[in-house]
Order: sequence, then structure tokens, then C-alpha cells
Amino acid sequence: MEPLYIEPTEFTPKVSFDPESSIFEISGFSRPENVIGFYRPILKWLEEYNEKVLSQNIKFEKSLLTINMKMTYFNSASSKFLLDVLLEFMKFHSKGNKVEINWYFEDGDDEILESGEEIADMLGYTFNFIPY
Amino acid sequence: MTKRENILGHYGPLSYEEIGFLLNRMSAYVDKQGMNITIKKKVYSAMVESLENVYKHQDIINGDTEHQPRFSLYLDDNEFSMFSSNSILTFKSTPLKEKLDRVNKLDKSGLKELYKQTILNANVSPKGGAGLGIINIAKVSENKINYTFEPINSEYSYFTINVVISLNSTI
Repeated sequence: MEPLYIEPTEFTPKVSFDPESSIFEISGFSRPENVIGFYRPILKWLEEYNEKVLSQNIKFEKSLLTINMKMTYFNSASSKFLLDVLLEFMKFHSKGNKVEINWYFEDGDDEILESGEEIADMLGYTFNFIPY
Repeated sequence: MTKRENILGHYGPLSYEEIGFLLNRMSAYVDKQGMNITIKKKVYSAMVESLENVYKHQDIINGDTEHQPRFSLYLDDNEFSMFSSNSILTFKSTPLKEKLDRVNKLDKSGLKELYKQTILNANVSPKGGAGLGIINIAKVSENKINYTFEPINSEYSYFTINVVISLNSTI
């Protein structure tokens, strides 16, 4: 399956989902004018990844999926979609894949740290919180 | 600084790019003052949600130049205070008042719980709203949100919210 790569813009984050390495990264700033238009294709890609790769390749069941979240800011509408993206990864976890979620935050940025803690709480999943 | 200083002001139609411009000006000001990243992020979040609410939810009155979107940001020794205004169809004021009164009654943990319940059940509207903006403003502000609805005519009102972010808990 082709990787998903979206260049960052002034209003949207960089997205880099690589099935080959099983590393999935969203980084930067998220305040899209059309939040549905930005995030829906990402969710669709994850659904296809789930159907085409994870569900059909039993070897992948043991693969480790690494999710790196390196957000500097996201608005409330984006938070809903970031949660939905992570919920898709939780589906992979429930199928037996190991899922590691790394939540990066600038040292001293309590807002991003707290947002990550809240999302982790909503998912009922343990994140690695990593200052930089 | 002893008296209240007006840092930013906007009056007139509000574009998405203009919101970015106002945010950049605020960020540059806060950086110049040497304030910490948490206060900057709190003001940033409250500004984004306030201005995006104006952008998404304003009901434009054709031909009216006196009730266009307005935004002001002030700073004194104790707090940032921002005012955001837009015209709105008056019939929409009741559910909006109910939402504001609801968040104003909640403490920090109550707001977190409401945010959690709302985000888990949210359906994003075609305008891109997830019903989270006002809750998010209340969370970052940690102060009550003041608001007014000033009647314009039989159909429309001019809605203003005032969000305060205290400096003492974050610096």
C-alpha cells in the first residue's frame, strides 16, 4: 500500500504514514478552514490500511505500529479528528498489533501536554509523553 | 504597566487569513514581552476559538455596516481580556445562552468531563464545528465567560463574549 504523505501548510499539519516502516506521524499546526476535507482522507486511508494490510497479512499482527504525534497547536475541531485518527489505531491494537503512541510536547507547553493526557484518558490507553 | 493597554483590534468582515494575521500579531507581542509558552498558548487557543466562532456562526445583515465582526485584545498587570462580537439571528441566542451558562457553572474537572462527553459524541457540522469551542474557551480561560446580546432589530442581535485569562496562575 502506498504511503500517505501530506505537506504541511500554514493551517494544516504534516502527515506521514508509512506502512513499510509502520511509523505514522502527524506534526505541526492544525487549524484547517475545512476540517472535514482535511481529515476525512486520512481516516479513509487508515480504513483501507486496516482492510488491505492488517486484516490480510497475519504476519503484520505482531508488527509494532509507532504513532508519533508532534503537534504544536490544534483547534477544538481538529481535536475531534485527531481523536478519531487515534481511535482507528486502537482498532489495530484490538486486532493484536502492538501500538505505541508517542506524544511530543515542547518543554513547558502545558497545553499540548494536557491535551495529550486528556486524549489518552479518553482512549483508555497509555501514551509516552516526550518533551523536546 | 499599570493601565489597560489595547494590544489588538479588528472591525469589519473577518476572513480566515485575517484570523491568522491577528494570531501572528498576538504571538509576536507575547514573545516580545517574554511571557511563558503556557500563557501564550492559552491566549492563542481562546483567540482561535473566539474568532472561528465569529467566522463560522455570524449571520450577516445585508447593508449593515455598524454591526460587523469586532475583536479587541487588552492587557493589564493581571490579565488578558478579549472581546469578540458578531451579529446573530436572535432566535439562536437561547441555546447559546444555555451553553454559556452551563460552562460558567462548571469547575475545571466539570469542564474536562463535559469536553470528553462532547468530543466522544460530536458530529462535526458542515461549518466544521464540533460543539467544543466554548467549552475549550472556558477550559483555557479558567474564568467565567461574560457575554451580552444587544438587540439590533426584530430579527438580529449583536453578540459579544468577553474572555479573561489571568496572568498570575501561569507566570
